[in-house]
Amino acid sequence: MTRSVHIVLVYQSLLGIYGDRGNATVLMRRLQWRGFEPRLTVAEPGRPLPDDADVYLLGGGEDGAQTTAVRLLQQEGTLHRAADRGAVVFAVCAGYQILGTTFTIGERDEVMPGLGLLDISTRRGEQRAVGEILTRLRPLPGDVTPLTGDDALVTGFENHGGMTTLGPDAAPLADVEIGVGNGDEARTEGAVQGSVVGTYPHGPVLARNPGLADFLLETALGTRLDPLPVAPLPALRRERVAAIRATSRA
Amino acid sequence: MTRIDPEALAKLLQGRRIAAVSGTNGKTTTTHLLAAAIRSGLGAHDADRVVTNADGANLHYGIASALSQAPRADLAILETDERVVADIIRLGRPEVLVLLNFSRDQLDRNHEIKKLARSWRDALAAAGEDGPVVVANAEEPLVVWAARAAKRVVWVDTASTWQEDATMCPDCGAILLRRNPHPETGDPGDWDCPACSMTEPSAAIRVENGQIIDRHGVAHDPQLQVPGGFNVGNAACALAAAEQLGVGVQDALAGMRTVTSPAGRFATTQYGTTSARLLLAKNPAGWHEALPLLQSDTVVLAIDAVAADGRDLSWMWDVDYEQLAGKKVIATGPRAQDLAVRLAYAEVECTVITDLAAALTDLGRHVDVLSTYTPFQKLRKLGGLA
Repeated sequence: MTRSVHIVLVYQSLLGIYGDRGNATVLMRRLQWRGFEPRLTVAEPGRPLPDDADVYLLGGGEDGAQTTAVRLLQQEGTLHRAADRGAVVFAVCAGYQILGTTFTIGERDEVMPGLGLLDISTRRGEQRAVGEILTRLRPLPGDVTPLTGDDALVTGFENHGGMTTLGPDAAPLADVEIGVGNGDEARTEGAVQGSVVGTYPHGPVLARNPGLADFLLETALGTRLDPLPVAPLPALRRERVAAIRATSRA
Repeated sequence: MTRIDPEALAKLLQGRRIAAVSGTNGKTTTTHLLAAAIRSGLGAHDADRVVTNADGANLHYGIASALSQAPRADLAILETDERVVADIIRLGRPEVLVLLNFSRDQLDRNHEIKKLARSWRDALAAAGEDGPVVVANAEEPLVVWAARAAKRVVWVDTASTWQEDATMCPDCGAILLRRNPHPETGDPGDWDCPACSMTEPSAAIRVENGQIIDRHGVAHDPQLQVPGGFNVGNAACALAAAEQLGVGVQDALAGMRTVTSPAGRFATTQYGTTSARLLLAKNPAGWHEALPLLQSDTVVLAIDAVAADGRDLSWMWDVDYEQLAGKKVIATGPRAQDLAVRLAYAEVECTVITDLAAALTDLGRHVDVLSTYTPFQKLRKLGGLA
């Protein structure tokens, strides 16, 4: 029996400067290759977001794009309703920051209200975090395939000026081995709160990290998925993990 | 790299008529086209009056180095990195400044492309009446936003189809509207801000169906030797700049038709039994333009991500590699594995041979090679082109 799955790329043109549409490409293919019937909506500002999707994806963007996106998404309310009904909201970089309660923009660190879907707040750090990042996913909530050993490692590229503090309702997504991530003392990266997940690494992150991709799909579908070998992925993952560790020792 | 004394650059610029060319994509080729147009206008015996940084060295040092080698040249056609534009305006008082386009590129270093546009805008505003006439691509909102600060602008419609970085109004942040799009040709239509006065300026010179329509409405078949629709757009900008420097349309076109492989771009060479045409693309807008030019059944894509390429490969996911379906792709370069995963998700057949020489040598056929910056330079050397 095939099942249709609806994925929405939220404001691709505003929040998509780091190849973030790749996360949608990856989820679509991983569903197709397993016999599902995925459907993608590339949602742009000015038109309503679909209210019936299984997964909403947000990516990176500049300061101006962040504030415009928050204003429009706040009016919409779709993401709040989605989170309430347990749909997956997955956000990267600027998308991650705007899901929080506050973030800052501009040289004067003007504090802006976020969407409040994650109990996090972001302020500009002293130094911008730019470079390869290696983290290890913490055990993820819900009935999913547990990731162990090297499968739990996440690699990507981070490029953000904001440093993020987690409140009591949000749990860290991962622990930082190399890189900055949230920039907190506990060396955590990203945040999870119910079915809402935010993270800094792009790459895009789901392309490099199939375990995280399948975690999102399993959460959205409420069912386990069979493993899906993608031929070049193990070699890329080995190469990236080794390269990042080698650079950090140098 | 040595950071050159700005006063030394100012002295080298002094006493010359200057045209500067900048933008994210097409700087090198447009500079070559413009220099050729100017030389053609001057005639053979005066061609050495022109100095240009022909090898793409477009930072302070590269510009100064080219100028220092031609002390008597009174016309300078300068490819100028986006980050150097403000200094060239301030130090060199160029007559003409060509602003081609503005898109995401090397985000690990540039972070926000609007900051660069602001530096152009501020420099043009500060120069006032002493500033250059700007030849600007009317299709790019950020270019228009920056160029509006100039004393005079010649707007060019380059018929480009890349619009990933043209969603928001650069002045007020509203979402731009599109008027009269033509989805069948990929023409996104004219942009217009619903909230402020920003709108696509009407162009004096424009590209239509591969022809350049001059300011009198006369259509010219450019007959360039450099391929691709984007180079027709570059030629339209070069033509407009040449006119500002006193060269007529026919002379300019005649000169531009002699340009074949600017700094190795589009050159064909041999690697053992392989004949290879080399194409360069440095960012998603460049890949968007270059992929349709790949004609061979087997194509080689060369990828790296060191500083000169941009350290972040995320841009690959903005490139429509899906259009390569049916071709055989050889992925090469130090970051070929990243490309292999991208191609797997695009369902494009791919072989990974990380070493450039091993990937290119003895394929026994002609291949088109598309490459990011550092593998491109290595391939030029390997192929005896540099």
